Amino acid sequence: MRGRLSLTLLLAAAPVSVAHADDPPTTAPRTRDATAAQIFGGPFRSPRLFAMPVADVVGAFQLSLSGDASLLQETGILTSAGVAAIGFGDIAQIEYRHTTAIGINDLNAPIPAVGVQLQAPFRERPWVPAVALAFRLGVPRRESIDDAPVDESVTDLYLVGRLRMRGALDRFTLHAGARVSSARIERPDFGPDGIAQRTMVLPAIGLDLDAGQSARVVAEIGLAPQFRFDPTAGTKPSVDYGLLGRAGVRWAALPTIVLDASVGYQLEVARSQPADGPGSLVEWDIRLGGEVFVPWGAIVCRVAGGFCE
Amino acid sequence: MTASRIATCTRRYDVTRTSKTWIIVSAIALTGGIASAQPVPVPVPLPPPDVTPPPDVTPPPDVTPPPDGTPVVAQPQPPSVDTIAAVPVEPAPAPEPPLTPVSLPELLLAPTGYLLPAGVIYARTGVDTSGGISGDLRFGLGDVAEFGVATTDLVRARDSSDAVAKRLAPFYTATFRMGLAEDRLFRYQPALTLGFRKSFEHEADGHRTRIAELHLAASKRLGARASVHINGSFWDASVENGEEGAVLLHDQGLGKQLRVGGGVAVRAVEDADIAVDFAWVPEFCFTCSDVNRTRLRPILSWGVRYDLTRWAMLQSGVRVPDIGDANLLDAQIFGQITLINRSLERVVKRHR
Repeated sequence: MRGRLSLTLLLAAAPVSVAHADDPPTTAPRTRDATAAQIFGGPFRSPRLFAMPVADVVGAFQLSLSGDASLLQETGILTSAGVAAIGFGDIAQIEYRHTTAIGINDLNAPIPAVGVQLQAPFRERPWVPAVALAFRLGVPRRESIDDAPVDESVTDLYLVGRLRMRGALDRFTLHAGARVSSARIERPDFGPDGIAQRTMVLPAIGLDLDAGQSARVVAEIGLAPQFRFDPTAGTKPSVDYGLLGRAGVRWAALPTIVLDASVGYQLEVARSQPADGPGSLVEWDIRLGGEVFVPWGAIVCRVAGGFCE
Repeated sequence: MTASRIATCTRRYDVTRTSKTWIIVSAIALTGGIASAQPVPVPVPLPPPDVTPPPDVTPPPDVTPPPDGTPVVAQPQPPSVDTIAAVPVEPAPAPEPPLTPVSLPELLLAPTGYLLPAGVIYARTGVDTSGGISGDLRFGLGDVAEFGVATTDLVRARDSSDAVAKRLAPFYTATFRMGLAEDRLFRYQPALTLGFRKSFEHEADGHRTRIAELHLAASKRLGARASVHINGSFWDASVENGEEGAVLLHDQGLGKQLRVGGGVAVRAVEDADIAVDFAWVPEFCFTCSDVNRTRLRPILSWGVRYDLTRWAMLQSGVRVPDIGDANLLDAQIFGQITLINRSLERVVKRHR
């Protein structure tokens, strides 16, 4: 355990910097005389839009804690998701993801997942997209639909690119990528007939507009695996394509605190019934969330003299 | 006995002293809270400190030793100009950033095209003569969006088409709106907002109901005293009971879902507006046919908004819940108070 911790700290302390001399600083200064304003003044980079990863990773010696929740997505249920990500050397991050569906009286199916995100170490140039690879390892979860147990799991590999526009469109940033998703649904009491598994290539696209005042208008849309299973019909479960769409605002109220609010259509991947389509407004939801950046390297340097530049 | 009395007195003294301390601390906190909630006065920039040496500068003291060899005794001297200039001058506090006026996201009932500025918290509470209570709490996000939760007393339901409609309350909703400020893209561009409102599920008489509304609202100021507002809304609703599946409004066609509303506000005197607006609210009929299970009712409101202070407003007026049937018997007189807190906005602007 101690060895793992030491290895983790060593990895964090040995950044493989891709920054160049004339690049702007990417992390908070790690010096003994740094002021609180400098330490918490950033810059900080977010590795995601809302659900879609982007070609950025959390900075070295920084920690990102983010989460969102909705009371409207599932009737009578608070659905929430949280991610803790730690940056390594400005090119990688390791993340722990926890998605839960919390009923009014009990806790159902916590879904932990771990992931790694790597950013290609190329210097950013005009009209050349930045590229990143993200892997999210899903842990199987079991849920009961009309007393019928169902096991579901999804493992994803993302390849995403980011292109900053120039000229008159310099406020826009385009994000595009593909998600290779292996989804599996199983009814344990039905044997081999109760299993459906599918590997799908799912495109995703996002748009990010700098709206000023530290606010960004963000929209993302993409396909996602959708589980379909009707226990009353006794049919075999299946994995199909579902549509995810979300638009909203990410506002950095302070450099370390970003508030998210968005409207979305069918964010939840695991649904047992086919959706009515985007025209069904009552199926849309509003999510509220946030992201907090912790410049732990700069804090430790200022307090104890460790991890300084 | 004496020791016991002394101990009792000491405890009483401690209790009294603790109480007084709490009273003083509470009074300071309360005063500070009220003071911090007040609008900041117009900042007056302080002149920079004058460090120019005065013309009658005293020459430096002569420290040449006397010829008789007596030691020189250092005499305290006033600080020289160089010394004064070298002392770090406390920088004048930065003036508070100017705060833009708050344009309200609702007229009386209809949405406007205006958004709350970043960090502004808006709260509105109202009562009406039918006994209904409503509330609305919103928060401005980055000058381009706002999020809010509300409870309304305007959604009603009836058991059959000839039954009396009953209020479904409290009917909770959440709102998210994004938009553009007036004149942001080009001159004469109205303020534009795309908003989505969705209710939490409400259960009454064995029926579960939900509503959702997507609206596009535009607002334009006409001179310094008037503004006009128009909106188009796209509604959806769901009624469900244990016996049959959900009956959805969007299955009945676009004609049942699309509506137009709006209003006008005129600044009649220096601190009061007169406003008229027209909005729509769903009404459910639990045993009607699917086509008539959800109906959108037009509501006409008119009234006055009076600015008590920069952070508090009173609204009062008349609301006719079913103006489509010209039914004045159900008209209500309402009163509302709106509070606006800009403390967080100041903190955010100060740290930027």
